[in-house]
Amino acid sequence: MNTESRVTTALAEMLDVSKWFGPVMALNGVSLEIGSGITGLVGPNGAGKTTLLRLLTGQIKPSLGSVDVCGRDAWSAKAKDHIGLCPFGDATWDELSGRKLMRVTAGLRGFTGAEARRRAESVLETVGMAKRADRPVRTYSKGMRQRIKLGQALVHDPDLLVLDEPLNGVDPVGCEELNELFRTLAAQGKAVLVSSHILHEMDQLADRILFICRGKLLASGSLAEIRDMLDDHPLKVRISCESPRWFGPQLLTLESVKSVSIEPPRDLLLEVQNPSRFYAEFGEFAAGSDAQVQRLKATDTSTEAVFDYLMERAARPE
Amino acid sequence: MLVLLGLAVLISYLWSMPWRPGSRTAAELASQIVLPLYMGFLLPVICLGYASAAIADERTGETLVYLLTTNIPRPLIYLSKYAAALLLTLGMTLGGLAALCLVPGKIGLEALGVFWTVTVCATAAYVGLFFLFSAWVRRATFLALAYALMIETLTGNIPGGVKRITVSFYAKSWLYESGETLGLAPNGVVLSLFDPVSAATAQWVLGLASAGFVALGMWVFSRKEYD
Repeated sequence: MNTESRVTTALAEMLDVSKWFGPVMALNGVSLEIGSGITGLVGPNGAGKTTLLRLLTGQIKPSLGSVDVCGRDAWSAKAKDHIGLCPFGDATWDELSGRKLMRVTAGLRGFTGAEARRRAESVLETVGMAKRADRPVRTYSKGMRQRIKLGQALVHDPDLLVLDEPLNGVDPVGCEELNELFRTLAAQGKAVLVSSHILHEMDQLADRILFICRGKLLASGSLAEIRDMLDDHPLKVRISCESPRWFGPQLLTLESVKSVSIEPPRDLLLEVQNPSRFYAEFGEFAAGSDAQVQRLKATDTSTEAVFDYLMERAARPE
Repeated sequence: MLVLLGLAVLISYLWSMPWRPGSRTAAELASQIVLPLYMGFLLPVICLGYASAAIADERTGETLVYLLTTNIPRPLIYLSKYAAALLLTLGMTLGGLAALCLVPGKIGLEALGVFWTVTVCATAAYVGLFFLFSAWVRRATFLALAYALMIETLTGNIPGGVKRITVSFYAKSWLYESGETLGLAPNGVVLSLFDPVSAATAQWVLGLASAGFVALGMWVFSRKEYD
């Protein structure tokens, strides 16, 4: 299910990609594009997320199909100029200090001398580690390691930033800081691909989401677009108003409303067939009535709810 | 590794019996200590210790991903790491050889002069081979140990042509010729059973083997998908 037109400027593209590991098919005919902005990658364990990330970062080659980053084969060294990876594992060169590690990483990316130092300092500042960068990495907490790994991914200013569970182990304040950083990077035109199993993180963070399961791409697009496409799962909307017993039956006259149930004392629970149409109809309807609507909230538009619906749909026999 | 080297130096020191100066000769040092203890055991062990861990450790430590996702071409990553491993290993092997030879005193200088060039070439070949193992399999140290024990030690000491697949055969062949003054070559039947090649051939084979191992390693590393 691809809900939208093509990504305007695709920085990374997978075309009909399949990947086998011996007899196991990890990815099956996946085609997708990743453009600037934040893209979330969501799927259960064993869905193929890690394989997809490894293909995109050129660590492995597809068995079938092609993976391009900025117009070059992701496996090639040239493509890796454009890729920054923050891997899932905590491992890095622990014996180095954070500052030294950042300089070494800049060196590995081809920056030397003053430029390597400048980039190292700049990126340490960006990830909030400048004041703690003289300690050996082995003494860092999990959250600090995540930040330093993120710095390693950013030091060469990549176009595509691939982050595997980047908020794992980061405290809530740190999460918000890093999310803000991801938004800033996305606003600069970079493509940020974030893999996460914490689905609610994606609600506010991702502009687009890739739902993946059993090696197949179930859906891609913005959360709202994907939700709209799930017409076999009517949208659930909760409305709080002064007189639900009077307003409920009135709402049934709207074509987009499939069912209404009253949840005393003031709530109505609606099932809506076509969300966009409903919102248009409802605005007009509520404005012309005395219902005194206090609150309207869709209850199943979260990443988690959409993911559950997609999984349910995927489990159905064809 | 340092402990092994320390033990070898201690053995060399005790062998030289410093309370009886002048009782030992350079030839005895070369044939009784340096050739069997160093060339036959320590050199391959030092090489496997450093070379077989180079990529395998990065792999098990999950830091290889940082190298594989840089814009450095994979063959160049391999070559750089090989060069680093070779320099480190040469430091150890030449340092160890020097210590082993010089601890007994001036008699070691002559042995050192004969052994050091062979050590350099044998180190390059061993490091090339064990480094290839490192790029090829996850538990490269076990494979390297098995190779050192089964192929270098056992096969390298049996009569016949099969020992020509070992590095130690060419190192010994070279030493037998260049160490003539030290009387390193065995006599009569033993020598004919060993059937050494000339020093020039040994140099060529060790050089080509080193280059071949590195080229093969670069090829493996540039194609392999590491997990």
